[in-house]
Amino acid sequence: MRSTRHVVNEEKPPELGHYSDPPLLVLSSLSNGPKHGHAMIEDILGLCGTRLGPGTLYGAIARLEQQGWIEPLPAEDRRRPYRITAEGLRVLRARLATLQQFIKAGAGRLEPL
Amino acid sequence: MKTVAARLLTRLYPRAWRERYGPEFEAMLEASRGGLRTAANVTLAAVRERIFPTQGGNMERDPGSFGAIVRHPSALIPMAMSFVALMLVLGAVTFYGHAHREPDEGAIAHLWQILMAGQLPVLAFFAIKWLPRAPKSTLAVLALQAGAVLAAMAPVFYFNL
Repeated sequence: MRSTRHVVNEEKPPELGHYSDPPLLVLSSLSNGPKHGHAMIEDILGLCGTRLGPGTLYGAIARLEQQGWIEPLPAEDRRRPYRITAEGLRVLRARLATLQQFIKAGAGRLEPL
Repeated sequence: MKTVAARLLTRLYPRAWRERYGPEFEAMLEASRGGLRTAANVTLAAVRERIFPTQGGNMERDPGSFGAIVRHPSALIPMAMSFVALMLVLGAVTFYGHAHREPDEGAIAHLWQILMAGQLPVLAFFAIKWLPRAPKSTLAVLALQAGAVLAAMAPVFYFNL
């Protein structure tokens, strides 16, 4: 009997899951202006289809704040917006450049196939 | 999510974290969809925060405090060595009885001696590094280390091993 384990659906590529690097996603979300937690979740969902959980989001926020890559703004009611710092922008640019390089290399390898 | 559930989930985080992020986090939870997935996500994140606490913002621990200094490897290693030495002696007494006198060349006696002597350079390093920076906290940690050394030595003298 033939195994069907490695048979893939030709029409629909296998699901690899959403891209998830919470700190990078938070930095990307804040790159076009300050946002509070809930707005970040919605923005990231629109950006790459990843819905960050509240715990994951605040884990990333706390660590990014610790590194000085984002900073809190005065709270509006109970919600506190955050903005990206100059150092955070520099880090984001560097990370995106690396990703771009990776995408270019990966696409180059796929070309001959 | 309901206010009560949001408050309960926020309570899973350590106090220092709650003091910094609690109100905004609770507000965000109240605005979120809720459900088991959210609860699991928050619970896991809270456990992670308890294991690897975020150091930053106004949660930054004073680097000269007792709590910060006692966490340094050079503070913990001597205490761990004393603890292992104590366990060795107690283990030997439990297995062989206190009437059994281990010769100096015995493996347990050697291990005990190595553990007790081996921590001296670490203790010296710790004292030289931290005494000038935070004398009060360092002295408290040194007292704790001395207590651990005495605890490891006590059964040896008590049972005359």
